[in-house]
Amino acid sequence: MSAPLDPGAPGTKSGAAPAASDTGTPDGATGEWRRLDPRTLLVHCGWLAAPLGSMALTALATGGRITAKAWFTLGALAISFAVVTTIGLIRWARTEFRITVPPGRDGGAGDGGGGARTFDVRSGLWTRRLRSVPLHRIRTVDLTASPLHRLLGVTVLRAGTAGSGYGSKDLSLEALAAPEAERLRAELLAYADADASANDPVLARISWRWLRYAPLTFWVIGGVFVVAGSGYRVLDGIGIVPWKLGIVRQAFTELGAGALWLTVPAVLLAVIALGSVGAVVLYVENWWSYCLEWTDARTLRVRRGLFTTRAVTIERARLRGVLLREPLLLRAGGGATVRAVAGGLGNQDENRKRSGLLPPAPRTEALRVAGGVLRAPFPGDGSPAPLTPHPRVALRRRRVRGLLFAVLPGAAVLAGLGLAFTPVLLHCAWIYAVVTTAVVLWLARDAYRSLGHGVDGPYLVARSGTISRDTLALQRDAIAAWTFTTSPFTRRAGVVTLTAAVAAGDNGYRIPDLAADEAPGFAAAAAPGILEEFLVRPGTAVRLPEQRSY
Amino acid sequence: MPEPAAALLRPPRHRVDPRARRWWTLQALVALSGPMLLVALTMTVLSLLFFPGALPWLGPLLLVVLVVPAVSYLVVMPRWRYAVHAWELGEQAVYAAGGWFWQKRRIAPLSRVQTVDTVRGPLQRRYGLATVTVTTASTAGDIKIAGLSHADAEELSRRIGEAAQAVPGDAA
Repeated sequence: MSAPLDPGAPGTKSGAAPAASDTGTPDGATGEWRRLDPRTLLVHCGWLAAPLGSMALTALATGGRITAKAWFTLGALAISFAVVTTIGLIRWARTEFRITVPPGRDGGAGDGGGGARTFDVRSGLWTRRLRSVPLHRIRTVDLTASPLHRLLGVTVLRAGTAGSGYGSKDLSLEALAAPEAERLRAELLAYADADASANDPVLARISWRWLRYAPLTFWVIGGVFVVAGSGYRVLDGIGIVPWKLGIVRQAFTELGAGALWLTVPAVLLAVIALGSVGAVVLYVENWWSYCLEWTDARTLRVRRGLFTTRAVTIERARLRGVLLREPLLLRAGGGATVRAVAGGLGNQDENRKRSGLLPPAPRTEALRVAGGVLRAPFPGDGSPAPLTPHPRVALRRRRVRGLLFAVLPGAAVLAGLGLAFTPVLLHCAWIYAVVTTAVVLWLARDAYRSLGHGVDGPYLVARSGTISRDTLALQRDAIAAWTFTTSPFTRRAGVVTLTAAVAAGDNGYRIPDLAADEAPGFAAAAAPGILEEFLVRPGTAVRLPEQRSY
Repeated sequence: MPEPAAALLRPPRHRVDPRARRWWTLQALVALSGPMLLVALTMTVLSLLFFPGALPWLGPLLLVVLVVPAVSYLVVMPRWRYAVHAWELGEQAVYAAGGWFWQKRRIAPLSRVQTVDTVRGPLQRRYGLATVTVTTASTAGDIKIAGLSHADAEELSRRIGEAAQAVPGDAA
């Protein structure tokens, strides 16, 4: 597994620019070749852990007696270790990189021609290969580190250019010391041309490295049904009914007879594996040859699909905003997806299918694409003004709701059944209560932390949700109506749910649990010209509704 | 810009027609309370006829589960609704409040108004009432003012139509 080390990359992009040019390392300034971190060699030895571990276990089990077969394996291991290490050493010694500076120029960031700063990577043992990319063409710099990398304090750096991600055209350096990688990223991005990035018609293409996010979607559950269903259909097609097969029946009886503490996790693992396969298959089918681009200044186009190819064109005038969606699992893996808030994509169901702009992908990539769609930095986390948090009572409301709807009914049913039939269920009841309470409290806190709203330039920004954390950036002048929803509970708590109506996307976008005394002011500030005439100062006496007075 | 945090949203100026209470009562009777009471009555009769022994526990159960909720809904809902429902036509926007337990206040600017519909249902006609629906391009922006008298509804829809034409906007 790999995870981006720094989630706030786009925010650092502009901020790092002056710093990097001031303090630019002497190496970078003179354009000297730099080496990878020697710890890379240790990373290459990581594969040894599994065979050595298994051998050690065998040796333990047999009481330290090493058989001839084991000696043979050990010998093979030693030889391959020597070969791999030698290759690794040569590769390490022969891989170098540098950032060149045009002669006689100090800071001019890539204004084309031969005078541009470039990022060069030289590698190869027999065939020497030099790859050189002008810095202003670099769009993304991605740092990923597997657990082994992290253990050794190194990280892999990948620099992607516009339209890269197809195949392995990225420049990658494996591996650099983590601080060194951070510094290099700042250097690379300092000269990445923001304007060129905004004017680049191609916003994103599929990168198969994103496949690692596929199992983190809902489809890991749906995938089980997909795989099982298609398997069943194939068998059905050749006239076999699965549960009449001897093997299947035998498997079931053995499963029932085996130790449950072993078989249950095994089955669970198998289901997850099956689901992951299904999720990956679906990801490939849905996002094959995915490409998001501005076909001209006014139309955005998404093309994707393997067997069913889809192409959705969105007019810029109808594009009202962008939704950054981070479902719980995907968020844990550092990923996100992007959806368009656009009019004319059809009804709710069609809109859901057609508004996807980016498959599950790294969060930094999602922020970049969202920014490219808006043609402005995505005003979420990276924006200068952070979102206004919601009142504390919203946290209490989330806790109470979770306890009331998740913990209480299950525990009550189990306890009731336990009292009526068997005391085993009583234990189930309290275990259920304890576990779900912990989960509910954690989710409630996460949901509360997600809550936030604000105004950033021409956009209304609102974030909410924990199972699916959605950050919405909505054009303020697209808001067609405001709705304030309350219940006796929210009125007592002093909060209100505000809904912005737009003629696009899901039509209504909720901002839950705003402070009741701040909501009207916020609504008026976010979309002027709607509700000002109905606002009063808190001090003034509120006139009660009259009867039919024309 | 004036300090926005201090401003509160006041309720709309005009209440709906008082006859709306009777309309809502009738609606509750037809849709929910009536069927619930009918079920309770049928079960009591059946129990009396065939299982008189069940009455001591069935009676209180029916009372708690069916009769009390039905009657309280019938009594409380229309009054509560009448206290909440209100509307106002401002210079820039239409403003309506509705609901009873869950209350909703919605404001849509006249520049976004697309159509104004006046609907008189069969029950509403009995009490001389009408519902005015102001639609915008967004389904989450439609304003519904229920329980207006015929005259008020006509007057309101005419005025919204005029105002919407007077206020420049593309209604998009």
